[in-house]
Amino acid sequence: MWTSRRSLAVITLAAALSASAFAQDLTLPNKPTGTLKFAVIGDSGTGDSNQYKLAKVFTDIRQRFPYEFVLMMGDNMYGGESARDFQKKFETPYKAVLDQGVKFYASLGNHDSTNQKMYKPFNMNGERFYTFKPKDGIRFFALDSNYMDRPQLQWFEKELAASGSDWKIVFFHHPIYSSGGAHGSDTALRDQLEPLFLKYGVDVVMAGHEHFYERLKPQKGIHYFTSGGAGKVRKGDVGGEFTEKAFDQGFHFMILEIDGDQMHFQVVSDQSKTVDSGIIARRRVEDKPAPSQPAAPPAKPVPPKDKPTTTTAKPAPPSTAKPPAPTAKPAAP
Amino acid sequence: MKYSLRPYIVAGCLLMACAPAAAQMPKGSNVNPDAGLVAEFTKKVNAYVKLRNGVTGFAPDLKRTEKPGEIAVAEKSMAQMVRGARADAKRGDIFTPATQAMFRRVLLSQLTKGGGEGADNKAIIKDDAPEPKDVPFKVNADYPKEAPLSTVPPDVLLALPKLPEDVQYRFVGKHLLLYDAKANLIIDFMLNAIP
Repeated sequence: MWTSRRSLAVITLAAALSASAFAQDLTLPNKPTGTLKFAVIGDSGTGDSNQYKLAKVFTDIRQRFPYEFVLMMGDNMYGGESARDFQKKFETPYKAVLDQGVKFYASLGNHDSTNQKMYKPFNMNGERFYTFKPKDGIRFFALDSNYMDRPQLQWFEKELAASGSDWKIVFFHHPIYSSGGAHGSDTALRDQLEPLFLKYGVDVVMAGHEHFYERLKPQKGIHYFTSGGAGKVRKGDVGGEFTEKAFDQGFHFMILEIDGDQMHFQVVSDQSKTVDSGIIARRRVEDKPAPSQPAAPPAKPVPPKDKPTTTTAKPAPPSTAKPPAPTAKPAAP
Repeated sequence: MKYSLRPYIVAGCLLMACAPAAAQMPKGSNVNPDAGLVAEFTKKVNAYVKLRNGVTGFAPDLKRTEKPGEIAVAEKSMAQMVRGARADAKRGDIFTPATQAMFRRVLLSQLTKGGGEGADNKAIIKDDAPEPKDVPFKVNADYPKEAPLSTVPPDVLLALPKLPEDVQYRFVGKHLLLYDAKANLIIDFMLNAIP
């Protein structure tokens, strides 16, 4: 009798501690309806214990922040790509969220075979590059930065031009701005993509490849994030002229919420700690600067809340979250 | 005072050798001196794709699936059938000696561009790229799944002859592969394509 009571007390205490740890750190608005919630992982596919450890935090946080889908920044599969590899490096670590109906939208990294585009759970619709619109006014573009050929550039410009005044969020593997010592900025890619970003009013660009987190100072009015630490970490590699905020002391993922003209972001480590958070305000296309004009103001940081709250961290039953359905089929290049 | 004509003759010969195509072009012409070589190369690549699509009609279809094992089976079957259909294919069938010279010239120009662009292109190709020891330099060989694929800078891709979907250029060290991404197969390769 005494033993079972003690066990119950221990379990209750552990659950309370776990819940409060997340609740303390959750700084997004986390509105029950009307916003778009999603997550970002990059360079995840190692299949090792580090990936699994972070995947556990990633899964747990969804109980409090029911993200609807996940963007993958590439290097989804390091090494082999047999059925067993897919199981070990993707299906098993993310099983809980996959079972809850969460969709993953992948981009290709330099460690990924092109034929990953045929793997349905990556939602690439058989294309190396594609677009989807999970909610009115918000459009995502996935690019293959490993092989940016003419058909892809032409397709991208056409899709951007057709996307009107939507939020435009572009994601791909190689960062065009980076303070990483091992890789750094892909300037050749920048030469091709940045003029299109500027011309068509891209708001946010996300990449991986670098095994750390970096929020960059806005470049010509565009916000850049590098998130490549969901399976590998390169410590001591980040920091420089572009850096607004960086984290390379552990693994991480991002959670984001678009609420009207604001995008809230939070970066969570494998220790369940918030390592960065803030708000990006979307600007109107006509307000966006020409390449020669000064950069936009940086993202407004939001410090983690000191006290546990119950109002901003309401647990939502996972089964109630509906995954977004792509509203636009990828156009053939 | 005696002057030797020898250095001038050598220099003249070198100039002529370096720009044979340009020398044959009419003044003010916009004709690409490499157009013939590009056409020849494109014809050979298209013939390869036609052959592949023909022989793989009986292979398991590479279609969208939830079962990654099916992707692997489709890839391997396709590769096997292509191998059978071009069993006598050898290095240089597509990258002919004349085509190789054109590729080296184009690549050199992209990797030695001024303003740091050339150096950047070279760095991007080498960034997290496979080592030559990790990839078999053999026509019709599978590209090893364990090896990364080199990034090919966009301006390099824009300068090279256009390829059909699923056929790609990839670098391994200094060497250039013609790679069938659908069948995961090395179609042809040229050594020392870049300095």
